[in-house]
Amino acid sequence: MIRTQKFKNVTFNCLYAIIGAVMLLPIYYLLVTTFKTPAEATARPLGLPTTWNFGNYIEAFTAMNYPRAFTNNLLITGIAVIILILISSMAAYVIARSNRLIFKWMFSIFMVGLIIPFQIAIIPLYKIIAGLHLMNTLPGVILIDVFCINLPLSIFLFRGFINTVPIELEEAAAIDGYGTFRTFLSIIFPLLKPIVSTVAILDALAIWNDFLTPLLFLQDPRKAVLLQEVYKNVGPFSTDWTSFFPMLVLSTLPLVIFFLIMQKSIIDGVVAGAVKG
Amino acid sequence: MNTKRRDRVFLLMILPAFIGFLLLFIVPSLMSFGYSLTNWSVYKPNFNFVGLDNYASLFADTKNIAAIKHSITYALVITVLQNGFAILFAVLLNRKGIMANMVKSIFFLPAVLSILVVGFLFQYIMTSADYGLLNNIIQFFGGTPVNWLGNGKIALFSVLATQVWQWTGWSMVIYIANLKSIDGSLYEAAEIDGAGKLQTFRKVTLPLLYPAASFNILMSLIGGLKVFDVVFAMTKGGPGYATETIMTTLIREGFNSGRTAYASAFAVVFFVIVFALTQIITFFLNKWEERIV
Repeated sequence: MIRTQKFKNVTFNCLYAIIGAVMLLPIYYLLVTTFKTPAEATARPLGLPTTWNFGNYIEAFTAMNYPRAFTNNLLITGIAVIILILISSMAAYVIARSNRLIFKWMFSIFMVGLIIPFQIAIIPLYKIIAGLHLMNTLPGVILIDVFCINLPLSIFLFRGFINTVPIELEEAAAIDGYGTFRTFLSIIFPLLKPIVSTVAILDALAIWNDFLTPLLFLQDPRKAVLLQEVYKNVGPFSTDWTSFFPMLVLSTLPLVIFFLIMQKSIIDGVVAGAVKG
Repeated sequence: MNTKRRDRVFLLMILPAFIGFLLLFIVPSLMSFGYSLTNWSVYKPNFNFVGLDNYASLFADTKNIAAIKHSITYALVITVLQNGFAILFAVLLNRKGIMANMVKSIFFLPAVLSILVVGFLFQYIMTSADYGLLNNIIQFFGGTPVNWLGNGKIALFSVLATQVWQWTGWSMVIYIANLKSIDGSLYEAAEIDGAGKLQTFRKVTLPLLYPAASFNILMSLIGGLKVFDVVFAMTKGGPGYATETIMTTLIREGFNSGRTAYASAFAVVFFVIVFALTQIITFFLNKWEERIV
């Protein structure tokens, strides 16, 4: 019995190793190619590089204006996530705690955005953003990332979580003379830590990797985000793909590092987002 | 407690989200409906009402019909494949041990990459040029190379395959969490009743995966209908119009060609398709739920 169990474990581990290797193959290929010359990459696509040549990365780093593009990404993602957490936790608190019809109505309207993609609004949105003089500005992109792409899910997740927070705490706070907003800020919000991290992670992934919004609303080259820098270089570098691949690596590296460090919270966040949904 | 005062504070707390959402989501969505009934374009800034003309010319163009078909096919096929693989690997990987955990992380990793980057990477992997990795591997095993992205009959499915690779892990971790919540005694009972592995999976596991499945199915369906980035990176809609989708057409007409009203009509059609398909799928999901309970 013990022997068959052991045999089973070995079989499973071999199976896992094979599946894992196949899944990882495209990423392995991407990484090893970045260190090669085009000739070597064509001759031995899957072999390890004979010499580890970092020159491709230096070239890519310069061609992408990496520090500038990275800063733009960071600003957009950071500010948008902070705004999202503040406004959606407040809105969700109201929806969870009030029986007023008007707030239930507002909630139904928010939830339209869970199903309907904002892309149907994209042409008028272009006019509105232009009308607000926010075209080609970071605030313009932030507004779209916040309100068009991530707000409904964030409110939905906060509401689900707040519904599980016992209301007695607030009643006690009211007896102590706390106002509504102060109750929210100093009693409720600190309790929302787990869902804040879920919302922050899901929103950050979506915003960092959003390409369509910057493509349409951020056409000033100085304000380009990482993906736009990659896109800009795909033409000029199309024949020189060993120089292009490092750009793919550099543009995703920040999120991959984030993932490697925060793995557990990210996966828990994805699961929490689904279970509450 | 003074409820009137409380309601006023409540209103102030919900308004930042609501006003922004109204102004940047609801209003422009409604404006799309309005624009779709005009002949507005960058060449006709003074537009007038033309009724359903845009819809008539939209449906008269076979390229548009093809784009709509591509998006729907893409959405349905990716929903089936992504969830099928995700359930398969969730069951396989739902074990303890370092190896199982490592492979789970490997499966999830592609989901943190941007779709655009994955598209560019696979464009090189799938190319029919000499250095195309996929064809090199196929030839190594004695197969004949395939023109993955140049053959209009399969290009859409080549693009789709990259997205299955990228997103299966995301759905899988949700299925695994669901599997963990299933009461182990149910499996013991099934074993005592003499049910085989496959039978247990069909009669016990699958019905209890309903919560994860309903979420994952709707997410991949809606995500599939919106497909844009990966097509943009890999094929630009080609070869010919073989991989044009609703979103690539909408962006081209609305932004590159400046046919604002025409593209708005496309947006409305898009809305109707998303709404109708999600309603149909939700109907079947509810049927499934009733059968379990």
